[in-house]
Amino acid sequence: MTPPLIGILPFGVVCGVAAQGTGLTAVEAVGMAMIVFSGAAQIIAMQLIAAGAPIAVILLTCLVVGLRLTMYSAAMAPHLASLPPRWRNALAFVLTDQAFAAAIRRFRTATTAGEGASYFLGTGVVLWVAWLVSNLGGYLAGNVIPAAWSLDFVVPLCFIAVLVPALDDGPARVAALAAAVAVVVLDPLPMRLSLVCGGLIGIAAGVAAARARRPRDGANP
Amino acid sequence: MSGTFAFWATIVAVGALNYLSRLSFIALFARFPMPPAMARALRFVPAAMLTAIVVPAVVFRAPGVLDLSYANPKLVAAFVAMAVAWRTRSVTASMVSGMVALWGAQWALAALAA
Repeated sequence: MTPPLIGILPFGVVCGVAAQGTGLTAVEAVGMAMIVFSGAAQIIAMQLIAAGAPIAVILLTCLVVGLRLTMYSAAMAPHLASLPPRWRNALAFVLTDQAFAAAIRRFRTATTAGEGASYFLGTGVVLWVAWLVSNLGGYLAGNVIPAAWSLDFVVPLCFIAVLVPALDDGPARVAALAAAVAVVVLDPLPMRLSLVCGGLIGIAAGVAAARARRPRDGANP
Repeated sequence: MSGTFAFWATIVAVGALNYLSRLSFIALFARFPMPPAMARALRFVPAAMLTAIVVPAVVFRAPGVLDLSYANPKLVAAFVAMAVAWRTRSVTASMVSGMVALWGAQWALAALAA
């Protein structure tokens, strides 16, 4: 229980700091954390709202950022298949990076699906509460700490800390490099479209690099 | 938009989209395995999307003003945080060292300019 909590708290604080920095009220910051329950999606949504982007661009960008959740969903699906639909629908809400990492290990050792699901639900609810508290904490810290300290720079730093370990092979580095160049070159695009376009170009470059490395990938799935 | 109906409508829509991603293979497409092409592309979502979020926050001094020189404190701090993240894999250590590097670089630039 402790490792996922330690993992989620800095993100919650960073998210709260970002909410304060983009001018949300405390109610909006915590309400957003309650409903969205995802640091990257919250930060992107609040930045795009502040930039005046249209809702279609906000949703498209958040959709691409949230795609990694479908990976967790697919990995979790076989463990939840025997549960009643109502349980599965409730458990899906608490599926975050940290809850996934903690619960998938437990499901592999659990003797029944119910045992794993109870642990998953418990972990998920504790993390959700910790998420709200840390978001509010970050928001209040942002209110108190002077602007000259550039506290909002913790947002990109936090993403760097998550990003760097993901750059563990060639194609992932190609994806990151292509996204970096694309997002800078496309910066003049209106409505902050550079963000989602840069991300998609990076993903395409990563797929192409992986394919180039193993040209007969299609023949040997 | 803050404080209005439009704000909350946007947030609920973003939340619903996130929930549908979480629900996708657990319930909506429970009978289908994930297509291999989709799995191959999803692997690159963190590397590409996080980079697209981080880079503009670091390389632009002001909106539209690119600064790739050592006189950009945010760029210096980002490289320090990357090095610490690579060695330690610790989120907290990377954030703390990045903030210290940012303050150090800002102080050094102000001292040089004075």
